[in-house]
Amino acid sequence: MEDYKYLFKVVLIGNAGVGKTCLVRRFTQGLFPPGQGATIGVDFMIKTVEIGGDKVKLQVWDTAGQERFRSITQSYYHSADALVLVYDITSRESFNSLPGWVKEVEQYASRKIISVLVGNKLDLHTEREITVEEGNSCAESHNMRFLETSAKDADNVDRLFLDIAVELTNNVRNVEIKNGPIEEEIRDHGSVQGCCR
Amino acid sequence: MAAATSFNFDTANLQNLTEMKDIQEAYDLLCKEESKIAEEIDDLLDHQTNLESKMSSLYRSVPNLQVVSSDAKQLGSMVSFTSDLAENVSGKVRQLDLAKGRVQDAIQRVNDVLDLKFCTDGVQTALQSEDYEKAAGHIHRYLSLDEKVLKQITPDSKEGGSVDVALHVLQDAKLNLTKIVREKFDIALQTADRASVERFFKIFPLLGLHDEGLEKFSKYLKSQIADRCQEQLAQAATLDPADRRAAVVYADTLTILFEDVGKVVEIHQPLVETYYGPGRLLQLIQWLQAECDKQASKIVDDFIKHREFNVKSRQVQAFLHRGGGRSSTTHERLDPRDLDVMLAECTLLNSRTEMYLRFIRNRVMNDLESVDEDDKTRGNKTADLEKLLRECLLSRRIQELIGNYIVMEEYFMRESVTKAESMDSLEQGSHTSSMVDDIFFILKKCTKRAISSGSVDCACALLNHTTTILEGDYQEKLYSKLRAGFPSGSFDVAQAYSMLQQGRFPTSSSDTNAAKLEFMTTLNNIEVSLEYIQSLKRSLTEECAALLSQNKDVGKDKLESCLNDLGAVTHKFKDVLDVSTFYVNLIADNKFNGMQMVQYGLSQLSTSAIKPRLKPWVENFLSVNHNITEDEFSMYEANDPFVQNFIMNLEQLLAEFKDFMTASNYDALVSLVTNEVTTQLEQTVLRSVFNRLGGLHFDKELRSLVTYLTSVTQWTIRDKFARLTQMATILNLERVAEILDYWGQNSGPLTWRLTPTEVRQVLSLRVDFRSEDIKRLKL
Ligand SMILES: Nc1nc2c(ncn2[C@@H]2O[C@H](COP(=O)(O)OP(=O)(O)OP(=O)(O)O)[C@@H](O)[C@H]2O)c(=O)[nH]1
Ligand SMILES: [Mg+2]
Repeated sequence: MEDYKYLFKVVLIGNAGVGKTCLVRRFTQGLFPPGQGATIGVDFMIKTVEIGGDKVKLQVWDTAGQERFRSITQSYYHSADALVLVYDITSRESFNSLPGWVKEVEQYASRKIISVLVGNKLDLHTEREITVEEGNSCAESHNMRFLETSAKDADNVDRLFLDIAVELTNNVRNVEIKNGPIEEEIRDHGSVQGCCR
Repeated sequence: MAAATSFNFDTANLQNLTEMKDIQEAYDLLCKEESKIAEEIDDLLDHQTNLESKMSSLYRSVPNLQVVSSDAKQLGSMVSFTSDLAENVSGKVRQLDLAKGRVQDAIQRVNDVLDLKFCTDGVQTALQSEDYEKAAGHIHRYLSLDEKVLKQITPDSKEGGSVDVALHVLQDAKLNLTKIVREKFDIALQTADRASVERFFKIFPLLGLHDEGLEKFSKYLKSQIADRCQEQLAQAATLDPADRRAAVVYADTLTILFEDVGKVVEIHQPLVETYYGPGRLLQLIQWLQAECDKQASKIVDDFIKHREFNVKSRQVQAFLHRGGGRSSTTHERLDPRDLDVMLAECTLLNSRTEMYLRFIRNRVMNDLESVDEDDKTRGNKTADLEKLLRECLLSRRIQELIGNYIVMEEYFMRESVTKAESMDSLEQGSHTSSMVDDIFFILKKCTKRAISSGSVDCACALLNHTTTILEGDYQEKLYSKLRAGFPSGSFDVAQAYSMLQQGRFPTSSSDTNAAKLEFMTTLNNIEVSLEYIQSLKRSLTEECAALLSQNKDVGKDKLESCLNDLGAVTHKFKDVLDVSTFYVNLIADNKFNGMQMVQYGLSQLSTSAIKPRLKPWVENFLSVNHNITEDEFSMYEANDPFVQNFIMNLEQLLAEFKDFMTASNYDALVSLVTNEVTTQLEQTVLRSVFNRLGGLHFDKELRSLVTYLTSVTQWTIRDKFARLTQMATILNLERVAEILDYWGQNSGPLTWRLTPTEVRQVLSLRVDFRSEDIKRLKL
């Protein structure tokens, strides 16, 4: 048996070049990859974190933003536990594509999925084209949580993934409560620790 | 002394000792101390002689040491003298070496000058006689000379000197020859004169024009590739549609293109390596790939056009965007069969491309590794290669094609599944209906085809869709049939079959017999599906074997993850159902792990078809008196009033279902029936009264029942009867207190399933036991 209690699938989507791969690499390997090419198809990485004493394994699927890989990406929506929809705060175009992405998610993903809207490249705030308010209200209108990150400066990246892990873990525990002893809900990151695979 | 300090006797207090006992004690202590000290002294004396002999031997060594010291000094001076000498000698050798080197250089220079002369003379005659190879050889030699050095060492190195003239001549000859070779090569190229092309191709590197030579040569190779591909495409366009290969003609054409490029590399790589040196394949491939891209793109264009790929793709997209539109009428839908052949060719196009790219990668990597370069340069070149393979037009076109293929394959799969569901039928004598085999056949066929594309992402996508269909629509379809429940009332099989129209279940019928048959068939469908899911996973894993071995790391992880998700569908079948809300306690053992849907179905069956029918049969128990005389007991023995009938009824009930259930579903049913029988019988027994003989008779009844049920199932029944058997034991006791022989410490291997309260309750069923005795029992 593998050494973890829960396994969750997190799928990253969004236009090409918004920084999905960089976010995943930052979170799973702690680095900002210099000049790596566009993703082909899907990439797949794993990181185990500890949430309130339990090992939680996150399977992160990093999809390609380019149009010709769209049908591959779509096949992963159904089994995803969480979706991270990424845009680039310095690119109006990437922001304008969000409604299209949301529509796809509604069509393919399962209903109980957690979705988070992420505005990446926070470090380039001088070139910002999308205000925080715009991002926020877009997230609200689609019932998503919202976060601005920088894969380059490691801003909010761990928080993004750990929040997801905590929420998913709490959800599973709430289901388990029906059948087993009640476990305390985790409310903050005090009891959350990252650890490598 | 150490011993004295460790002795903690207080001498000051010695004077104060008055008691005889204390004094005696103090005296003993002192005696002990004394003997210990004496021992230590003896020990030290023993060592004395030893030490003395050591001292004297040391004294004897002193004079020797002085000799050693002076010897050492002498040796030191000798060594330094020798070293000076050696230094001297080697200095001379070094000078000699230098001189020798200079002499060699001088000889080299003289040779160079001689060569220069030789080349100057030779190149002119060679050019005159059009012996370009020879001329190029001379120029190559000239290029290897160091012009500056030559000019320095010759005294007439000023303008117009003989060396200078020679150099000028050679320079001119080089320019001249380069011009000639270029012209001749171009002519050879235009006339497709292979021999001349290869002839001049070999001359370029001699003139130091490696890149130009290689580029010109690749132009020649490219034109060859292009010509042949155009020929093939023209043939493809006119191919008889009835031809055996017509359905895959574009895949064939692409394959021929790849084979041509492969052949070109195979044949010309050794040539390039010999005349241009190793490590130049990447450059050559970069040029050749440009042509391959161009031609492959044309093939893909033709494929798209003649197979109406985009038209079909748009139709499918439009259909899907209408939201899966179950409502859309058949005439605007694309018939899945129209897609079948094209989808197969599509995967073939991809698998051929993957194979070709792998070939190129291997070839170039081998070539790169054969050159001695630093890691960084090689790393950069490897990255260039990967970028070329990833981003070349060929790759992009094929990725695009596969992207659309996936959408259409999913559509094909879903539509075929829907069709299989709508054509679902049951053949007499078969446990499952046609849709199960059909659907799993379709899922396997489509996913297998996707795997055959050789693309990990494509394989994963279809594995995902298969999982989604099984977990979603398919499961829901089966589940909804169970939710309708099992209609109550008796079950007339002949009547049920007669209601089927060509094996189909009537869509809306009030006929409960057909509904019952459908219910039971669904139960079997589910049970068989669980098995099929696992075997589907197994066979698809086998299909993936090649992909798994070609793709290490991420590719392998992705495939394995998607395959595991497919296997886990079995568990998901149960997740959807919150079993706890149903009659969990009715369900047999825990053998059905992961099969809760079957259990749910069985519990539905139990509620409507089993419970109500069992009830009156069990109630019959009450009409048989269990407070009986010896005579009545023997009469019962000869002609049992309850259990024979009961078993007969059970037999009939089970027979009704047996033929319509798979073996394991039938076993589950027997288990379910047994649970129900024991529960109801327990309650009934508690409503009867017994005397000793009645208890004995009850024990017999129970044994007959257990024997019968054991004979109809593979599973063990006895355990389910544990509580009833223990009740029988109690009802068989002679006296109340006898229970203590079986209880608590005396219970031996027996584990009581009855609580003390229940034991008292059962005891009180005996008319001949006094309630005070029962109350007084300590359990
Ligand atoms: N300044 C800045 N640049 C970033 C950040 N994240 C990514 N980038 C850059 O954005 C470019 C694209 O990043 P990727 O991570 O490859 O983008 P992607 O979303 O994975 O793109 P696809 O794989 O094509 O879908 C790269 O040049 C990164 O260096 C960030 O937080 N800050
Ligand atoms: Mg990427």
